[in-house]
Amino acid sequence: MPGADKETELSERIEAFLSELKRCGSGAGSLRGSAETARETTSLLRRITAQARWSNAGDLMEIIRKEGRRMTAGQPSETTVGNMVRRVLKIIREEYARSRGSTEEADQQESLHKLLTSGGSSEDNFRQHFTHLKANVIEAINELLTELEGTTDNISMQALEHIHSNEVIMTIGRSRTVEAFLKDAARKRKFHVIVAECAPFCQGHEMATSLSKEDIETTVIPDAAIFAVMSRVNKVIIGTQTVLANGGLRAVNGTHTLALAAKHHSTPLIVCAPMFKLSPQWDSALQELVLRSFCFLLPGEILSKVNAHCPVFDYVPPELITLFISNIGGNAPSYIYRLMSELYHPEDHEL
Amino acid sequence: PAATVLKYPLSNMAGKAGRQSRPRKADKDEEEKPLQAVLVADSFNRRFFPITKDQPRALLPLANVSMIDYTLEFLTSTGVQETFVFCCWMASKIKEHLQKSKWCRPTSPNVVHVITSDLYRSLGDVLRDVDAKALVRSDFLLVYGDVVSNIDVSQALQEHKQRRSMDKNVSVMTMIFKESPPGHKTRCEDDDIIVAMDGKSKRILHYQRAQALKKLHFPMVRCLEVGSDEFEIRFDLLDCHISICSPQVAELFTDNFDYQTKNDFVRGLLVNEEILGNQIHMHVTRDGYGARVSNLLMYDTVSSDTIRRWIYPITPEANFADQEGQSCTHSRHNVYREPGVSLGHGSQMEENVLIGRNTVIGANCTISNTVIGANCVIGDNVTLDRAYIWNRVHIADNVKVKQSVICDNVEVKHGVVLSEQCVLAYNVVVGPDITLPEGTVLSMHHPDEEDDEDEDEFLSDDNDVGYSKDKTKQKVFNPAEVGSEGKGYRWKSSSLDDTEEDELAECIWGLALSADPESDSESEVSEGSHDLGSHPASPELDDVKVFQNEVHGTLQRGLDENISCDNLVLEINSLKYAYNISLKEVMQILMRVVLEFPFQQQGAQISTAQYSSHLLPLLKKWAPVFKNYVKRPQDQLDCLASMEEVFLECETHWAVLMSMYQLEILEEEGIMHWFNQGSTTDKSQQLRRNQGLLKFIKWLQEAEESSEGDE
Repeated sequence: MPGADKETELSERIEAFLSELKRCGSGAGSLRGSAETARETTSLLRRITAQARWSNAGDLMEIIRKEGRRMTAGQPSETTVGNMVRRVLKIIREEYARSRGSTEEADQQESLHKLLTSGGSSEDNFRQHFTHLKANVIEAINELLTELEGTTDNISMQALEHIHSNEVIMTIGRSRTVEAFLKDAARKRKFHVIVAECAPFCQGHEMATSLSKEDIETTVIPDAAIFAVMSRVNKVIIGTQTVLANGGLRAVNGTHTLALAAKHHSTPLIVCAPMFKLSPQWDSALQELVLRSFCFLLPGEILSKVNAHCPVFDYVPPELITLFISNIGGNAPSYIYRLMSELYHPEDHEL
Repeated sequence: PAATVLKYPLSNMAGKAGRQSRPRKADKDEEEKPLQAVLVADSFNRRFFPITKDQPRALLPLANVSMIDYTLEFLTSTGVQETFVFCCWMASKIKEHLQKSKWCRPTSPNVVHVITSDLYRSLGDVLRDVDAKALVRSDFLLVYGDVVSNIDVSQALQEHKQRRSMDKNVSVMTMIFKESPPGHKTRCEDDDIIVAMDGKSKRILHYQRAQALKKLHFPMVRCLEVGSDEFEIRFDLLDCHISICSPQVAELFTDNFDYQTKNDFVRGLLVNEEILGNQIHMHVTRDGYGARVSNLLMYDTVSSDTIRRWIYPITPEANFADQEGQSCTHSRHNVYREPGVSLGHGSQMEENVLIGRNTVIGANCTISNTVIGANCVIGDNVTLDRAYIWNRVHIADNVKVKQSVICDNVEVKHGVVLSEQCVLAYNVVVGPDITLPEGTVLSMHHPDEEDDEDEDEFLSDDNDVGYSKDKTKQKVFNPAEVGSEGKGYRWKSSSLDDTEEDELAECIWGLALSADPESDSESEVSEGSHDLGSHPASPELDDVKVFQNEVHGTLQRGLDENISCDNLVLEINSLKYAYNISLKEVMQILMRVVLEFPFQQQGAQISTAQYSSHLLPLLKKWAPVFKNYVKRPQDQLDCLASMEEVFLECETHWAVLMSMYQLEILEEEGIMHWFNQGSTTDKSQQLRRNQGLLKFIKWLQEAEESSEGDE
């Protein structure tokens, strides 16, 4: 039975992806970037679409949702996976609507009145069978994949608009997006980068080495010196792990300090965040902590009596952020909700 | 030096010659081979008794997940694709567990094979079986089923492969160590080690367990021979019990059938390094976590480390074992809750708490640093601190538990207080209103079964369980020990191998020491060097000393079993070859052994008369043995020199010389020659002035003259 073979192969792939996710961890010190995770998730979802058995959009959405739940449970702190699942669900909705002949617009702009009157979920309507749906959905997912591949380039293309000659830029830790952003700017302009080292994992050191290889003037400072140095800084450019629905950030530990210092000195704080980092989560979800072990350097006797907590992420409220730079352009934090509604269907916020 | 001698030279050479061609052929496709691992799911000791009477150690829950799952997760995450699980004690349970787990699903990236046998009694047996079945094709990881780790061994593996390709398979093993300074809680006193290594090549030069060791001998010779300009002696390392082995390791275990443990292997390899040419290297990791749950103290430590997230990404909420309903939530102060937990009014989970699914906790409880399993019921006003409560445990109201382990299905009635380091094994009932003193261990198995179980231990566990149940019925529970409604027997602390107290741990170690022939012989070596005084400690000494012990043993046996002198000569000759001892040394040692025989039997303080009365029959009996060795005049001189050495201390025993002469072992020319020979030291000069000796010499001279006169 080739069908059964396909299905086991599929579940094998999902399992492998899941265990990979669990093992690599996320956030500080994760083994790979979230861009890669996003791409892998999307191509896995494309595979599911192509290989799983479904006859109409409703079935497919159910399958994707089920697998999506499993995948997000695998690594709850990595929101990218859930975001990609939501994007694909949205694509299915759109394609279904298009096949049925109704316009996207009508589906999207549901007014409060409509929501109230329509009653039950609109999923009841997804039962119709369309022969071209599968091809269309896969096509759309391919487009999404192309978009994902270009995100970093799209963001770094905007670098010259934001970084001017002889500016002093501060960043924290290591973000692949920021790294590309700064390097792109460095091809035309000369500027000075100050990197906060982001203890205890000190990803800032890696960042600084990488930047200095590109002949960017780089200084590493300890986290404690952020406030003292801030007065000389023209711009703060940081990356983030997740952009929350209210425009806040879940970013590497130390970012909140940095943002407050920037606010105090009225230094603009720019966040480089690709669209796939937008998550419909709110800060209440931050109750789940991500902690890691660190520093075995304490003397043994002390260590056994000590509880060492090492939070990996900070929550940064939206008031502290000046601008988001995403692959589709710059946006203010207050506009994030709008982007959110464009990217995800409200019914998919909870998988 | 003469030689460092191999115990079984013949088998070794044959083994090496026959096999050397094999790895070389395999070299080319080394890269593509999947990484394999050998997981030994048996501890081969009884440290966890009586808990392990009902459940093998690898299946004991640690933070509600079986230990073997941690080990398999570690192996899988380091990229192992095929694992051989060897089990012996309660093998069927382990097998059943693995079949149900995610490791045996068709999608598992790590293929797990379970190999069971009742005949494994040590790590050595397992590895010999690995070799016999030719299971491993290239380098493999060797771990125990109770290792918890998140170390990424890929770097060590790469280094290992590099060394092997550079040095033509000289390095056979890379041991993984974790840096942890003395006093670190993951350091288990049993496992303290001292390692000397070459700073550059990371090669291990000396490996010694430090337990109960007051002073250390380092074979500086070996360290200097290496010719490295920097070497380190380190005490801040923790053996993670993870090693990267080449297939040669299994072969070496086969060749040396006396290797039982890894310790034997490492030490054997280091001692015989120059002959076999095998080396062991090490890899030290700083930020990984690796520890073996080797006793309950370690169980406590590793559990709390898991909950405190030191083993990230292996954390309780990750649900890496992928079991249904095990996904728990993690909130501040490391409080983890699985689904269906109900917490009564006013109960507090202070910090580092993990509560299993469907557990019900009553009102006003205080819980800290505790793991509670699934489906437990805990009453009101209960205080738990550092308690490890497994599944389906019932705890009534007003119970206090401190640093204790409570196994499955235990019932603790109201008002019970468990002091520190108590263990309630499976199905025990305690209470009501009783306070158990520190270190109490209760089990449904009667401690007296111990002896019977010795034989059963490695046999099938099924009939064993039924059998012990029959037995328990005949015995009565002591209400003073378990409370008026209690069920269970108290295990005496002396028989307790699983206690957490340091002094007892030392006692276990002491037992192990006497069972370990290598460390035994070593302690004698230091004594031996003291006896000989002038000789510096050198590797050659080991063999001489061991040979002397063997000769002594042989003679003793000859005496007990009345073995004929011809056979004794045969045995001594074979020993001579085994230890590569020269004829001269054989003679000297033989003489020494015989002369010391009465001291050994009667104690050092016996009088001259007693001494000779003991020695004379022996000499008479063994005269043919001596005659076999003492043939030439030079032999006689050697013999006398050896005698002299012995009698320097106790010069009154010269009567022996007389009897030797009478038994025609020694001849007068020899004795005269020796006597007239220039003596070197003061002591031996003094010896020659001894009255008894002078009289004997005089008598000899007179006898000679008279015989000359006769002619």
